[in-house]
Amino acid sequence: MSRGEAPSWFGMAVFAALALVPLLAGEYWTEQLTRYLVFGMFALSLGLVWGQGGMLCFGQAMFFGLGGYLMALATTGMLGPLFASTYAGLALALLGAGAAAAAIGYFLFWGAGLSGAYLAVVTLAMAYIVEQAVRSSYWLGADNGLSGIPPLDFGLFSGHLVIEATAPRYYLILALLGLAYWLLVRLSTSPFGLVVAAIKGNPMRAAFLGHRILAVRLRVFVVGAALAGLAGALFVATDAFASPTLIGFGLSTEVLIWVALGGREMLLAALLGALAVRLLEGWLATYLGDYWLLGLGVVFMATVVLLPAGLIAAPLRHLAGRRDA
Amino acid sequence: MVEAAAIGLNAASYVLILVLVALGLVVVFGVMRVINMAHGELFMLGAYAVIAADGLGAPFWLGVLAAPILAGAAGAAIEAALIRHIYARPLDTILATWGLSLALKQAIVLAFGPASLSVPSPMDATIAVGTFAYPLYRLIVMGVALVAILGVFIGFFRSGFGLMVRAVVADPRSAACLGIDPALVHRVSFTAGAALAGLAGGLIAPLISVDPEMGVGFLIPAFLAILVGGAGPLAGVLTGGVVVGGADSVLTNWLSPVLAQVVVFALAVVVIRLRRGPVGGLR
Repeated sequence: MSRGEAPSWFGMAVFAALALVPLLAGEYWTEQLTRYLVFGMFALSLGLVWGQGGMLCFGQAMFFGLGGYLMALATTGMLGPLFASTYAGLALALLGAGAAAAAIGYFLFWGAGLSGAYLAVVTLAMAYIVEQAVRSSYWLGADNGLSGIPPLDFGLFSGHLVIEATAPRYYLILALLGLAYWLLVRLSTSPFGLVVAAIKGNPMRAAFLGHRILAVRLRVFVVGAALAGLAGALFVATDAFASPTLIGFGLSTEVLIWVALGGREMLLAALLGALAVRLLEGWLATYLGDYWLLGLGVVFMATVVLLPAGLIAAPLRHLAGRRDA
Repeated sequence: MVEAAAIGLNAASYVLILVLVALGLVVVFGVMRVINMAHGELFMLGAYAVIAADGLGAPFWLGVLAAPILAGAAGAAIEAALIRHIYARPLDTILATWGLSLALKQAIVLAFGPASLSVPSPMDATIAVGTFAYPLYRLIVMGVALVAILGVFIGFFRSGFGLMVRAVVADPRSAACLGIDPALVHRVSFTAGAALAGLAGGLIAPLISVDPEMGVGFLIPAFLAILVGGAGPLAGVLTGGVVVGGADSVLTNWLSPVLAQVVVFALAVVVIRLRRGPVGGLR
């Protein structure tokens, strides 16, 4: 079992339970849960950057939105016929978000680097800037966003293999999420993951031990951003719609809330935090109306103060500890 | 000439309000190392105090007086209920106050609705110099803001309590050994910071549209002003406020307001990054 991660039997149980959803829940909830799985993937990306890497990024949606917009531009043919395919869209989303993160990350972390509060404020401002810029760009549809994005199509050459029905799309995204989770857990238990943890714990000491902090931070930041970009691309293909809310500061702070509520230092808890908050929102918001956000804010505050490990991670850690003993 | 005077005065009034907001933020950050993400919502509370007073038929200036009192009281309550428990975890204050900001915004939506509201300007008079006329209310806002800013500086650098605050900033433990109560200093600082935001919100209420999302539009430039201003107790805020607020306000005359903001914020981010340079570090 990995350091601080949920027990692997629990992870398997969660994914097995998720695999049963299309069989047990109706069409509507499967459809909703498809979106929540995408948000879960987005939460994983922040779990990596913040929880594992210790970089409190208030602008993670920049990469989610960038992936989404690149996917939208590619698949609607706005980038020319060469890029008008799902494959090109997904590749652009991954590489584009990763490249943007490499540039932004270098800017942020080079030299002594920004960290802590400075990093939070600067990334927050960046997300705000990017959102405003997208909102005023007519090429990107301004406030209305881009619509008519085709569904995922994995056909080769001129054939088509469209993944549009609810259940197949759900399983495709669940499989990608499972793969992403498995890779991130592998990453965090690898020697590289140990270096990441060392740098998070004490950057100066890690530097004295000969680790190149900038390079390690950049790698984590880029991997996280690429995953966020992939999630964004899957989201717009599911929703057929890309809007400026995907790239801005609102979603950036929302994902932070999911991850903090679930448990910032446990990848599975971050994922489940996103699923749980979105499920509760989909279910309770109809009854609670405007009180839902008020309640979420209060619960979030209470969690940060009283149970900073997270509402899902704390009991899981307890469970894991008992099994190990 | 007339145009330049209007641009200059508009810039000055925006800068003064921004400095007032940023000053509250920096008092809290400087004294307690707490990043208050709900500062924008305290500013918003000030504006809604004026709206509420207007709705009750109270005179305008009573609303402006109530704004800092209400925001200050909210600040004192927030300090006691929330901030006090997480002093030891400065980064978590960002998250907790973010949750607070969400809750406050939503409480205002519940009380006043999500739509933007406005209060009529309390006076229509203008001051004319030759062919140049400028609204009297804006001049009064600038005057009040200036007095409040001066008050904070005098209080911080010239009063006995200010000395205690500076002692706590320098070294809380030694200050406590000398009989200064750091908890009291924290309480008063947070309340004062909140009251400054409330005052700014109350003063500006007739000049902008008041809505539950208004806080972030001032929070981000205020943060940037502080980080651009950098070193020096309080004084950095003045430079930062003049640079960020002034540039934004002046550029708006040539670019669209959104583009002006994007350009200024982006430049501010670059300046902040370069100032941090390859050496030094704050945690």
